[in-house]
Amino acid sequence: MALCSAVRVSVLWRTAVMAVFAACAGVAQGAFPIVATTADLKSLAESIGGDKVHVVALVPPNTDPEEYQPKPQDLARLKSAQMVLRVGLDFDLWLDRLVPQAGNPAIRRGGPGHVDASFGITLLDVRGAQVGPVGGHAHGSGNPHYWLDPANAEMITASIFEALVRLDPANAQHYQRQRMMFLDMLSRRIESWQRALAPVQGRPLIAYHNNWSYFARRFRLNIAGYIEPRPGVPPTPAHLAGLIKLAQAQQIKAVVRQPHEPQKNAEFVAAKSGAVIVLLAASVGAVPQARDYVSLFDYNVAALAAALQ
Amino acid sequence: MTADAFVLLWPPFLVAAVLVGIHTYFGLQVLARNVVFVDLALAQIAALGATVAFMLGHPVSSPASYGYSLLFALCAAMLLATTRNWSGRISQEAMIGVIYIVAAAAGFLMVEKAPQGTEHIKQVLTGNILTAGIEQLVWVAPLYAVIGAVLWSARRKLARVEQGWRGWAWDFLFYACFGVVVTSSVALAGVLLVFSFLIIPATVGILYADGMRRLAIGWAVGLVATVAGLALSYAADLPTGSTLVCVFGAALAVAALLRVLLRASAHHRRLGVRTGRIALTGILGVSGLWFAFAPRADQPLIDSVEAAVPGVREVYMSARETDIYREAVHYAERYRGEAERLNEKEARSRWQGDALSDIDVRRLSSYVQSYNEMRKGEEFVQREVRSRARERWRWEIGGGLLVAGALIFPWRRRAAMKPSPNTVIQQ
Repeated sequence: MALCSAVRVSVLWRTAVMAVFAACAGVAQGAFPIVATTADLKSLAESIGGDKVHVVALVPPNTDPEEYQPKPQDLARLKSAQMVLRVGLDFDLWLDRLVPQAGNPAIRRGGPGHVDASFGITLLDVRGAQVGPVGGHAHGSGNPHYWLDPANAEMITASIFEALVRLDPANAQHYQRQRMMFLDMLSRRIESWQRALAPVQGRPLIAYHNNWSYFARRFRLNIAGYIEPRPGVPPTPAHLAGLIKLAQAQQIKAVVRQPHEPQKNAEFVAAKSGAVIVLLAASVGAVPQARDYVSLFDYNVAALAAALQ
Repeated sequence: MTADAFVLLWPPFLVAAVLVGIHTYFGLQVLARNVVFVDLALAQIAALGATVAFMLGHPVSSPASYGYSLLFALCAAMLLATTRNWSGRISQEAMIGVIYIVAAAAGFLMVEKAPQGTEHIKQVLTGNILTAGIEQLVWVAPLYAVIGAVLWSARRKLARVEQGWRGWAWDFLFYACFGVVVTSSVALAGVLLVFSFLIIPATVGILYADGMRRLAIGWAVGLVATVAGLALSYAADLPTGSTLVCVFGAALAVAALLRVLLRASAHHRRLGVRTGRIALTGILGVSGLWFAFAPRADQPLIDSVEAAVPGVREVYMSARETDIYREAVHYAERYRGEAERLNEKEARSRWQGDALSDIDVRRLSSYVQSYNEMRKGEEFVQREVRSRARERWRWEIGGGLLVAGALIFPWRRRAAMKPSPNTVIQQ
């Protein structure tokens, strides 16, 4: 009796394990493999592809993508990918060293599977334009944080859609349907977010770093100053003194920072000016509530509305 | 502006003064023990402790994180106290170096999978003295006062190199106190600045004095360098931590030079002056040759002089060239201003008045890029005009620098051959 019971358990266990492997294999075999540099592009690709795509993001959540150090497994992921999706604008320059090493001709720059999501985006903070210490973002030909304008999702998904249709024509109708549904839902959400932030339009706030230009433009926010005017360079005493004076003069109520940005400098400015610190997510996964592209904006809009009202 | 600077800088100055106070004493000890880099090793191990705390779910800079850092620092103190007994054939510094790199690598491996990963380690090791204030002073000052009192009362025991378990125990006391101080200081000021506080004032003290006077001199130098560094970082709009480190370095250089000039014997002073003249000759000679053979290349010496005294350009530029240069400077500044005006217009439109459409933004960006290209063009004109003028005068200026170097060089003067009264001239 005990022996039959043990055998039954063993058979059940092996069956369960085999079922799990079969399911994984099924996903791996049928799904179109995509590698994205960031979680935001991953989320957008999944919004279009649904279960027809298998997307992996190379940069983990809450890691600065500009300083990401690639790992050996990233090469393996790129080897087996049929599409690589990048932010561009010098934001993910490290990918240019990785792709040739992967030896996958489809995803090389200029190849059929190499998609630069910045194509067609209306860029802000064009290169060298921000002269002096204010708002400089020393990248390529514009500020690379364009996904933070939800209206840009239309152009980003268009680039992804075009590549998917070219590389996986069998599922073209599925991708089109998914994209239309996603954009339709997103446009309604944009309206609701704009309504939520309408009462605080124009209210001045301070940001740690110049990530928020596109977000500010879409939701009519007044980012009056930056704690870190040049990426990676600590703020100088003269700059902080000026920022504190500005915050006091304009009665700035909020200092915006991301979870991975240093809290000491933000706390210093907030304490001297009587502002509160608002933790915003500039990328999917930066905070637990930002599980995907849409919930990223749900979280940011709610946090800002609560802080500025 | 002076009032603003004072309001902003006096709290960091007080914190820095406390750090200079305790670290100068420790600096004298580590220099005597020849374990200069133990500070970096302890800081890295404390960061490893904070990393473990972070992986266990404790927020960065929380009391739990500080507790873990202290625990790891104390464990490191036990290990360091033991390494003195191992340093028969291998120096203790080598083992300290190994401890440092292993702790650093272990920390990175640990956070590799965690959200925020290496940003966390960066935050732990990169303090900012500028944002340190009274809230930090109220706990750091008493803590360091207690540690200072403990070390002062045990100074004679610590100065002796005892063997056996007694020696280990006194070493452990020293490294444990040092670990507590380093853990606390690095969180406030960062690794580089703490290292400066530790080594440089103590080194200056050793250069000039013995005994307790070393400490007094170290404190004085540390405080003066801190004031100078803070003032310079505000006036020149530079990051505070890096400026302080450079000013401390400059203080050491000045102190060493003054010691040579004031205390050296006449012979050593002459030797120092001679060495300086030879060095200056070398700089002028190399600059002269470089200018003569590569007049269009960067000329560090001439460029530095021109940056300080722009009028020097008119010495080798013709009147026409000077006019072209000035016009190019004027237009470059004008285009820069136009680009800035357009950017400000776009930034304002994000929240004020009518929002610009995508087409308007693209058009504006196109104008900005055009102005930037035009500015670069004017900067090219400046460089080209200057290069052509230098090319025309290459041999004269290059030769002039060589001659100047030759004049400065301390040629040996042969003594005149005068016969002495006792010399017998053979016929």
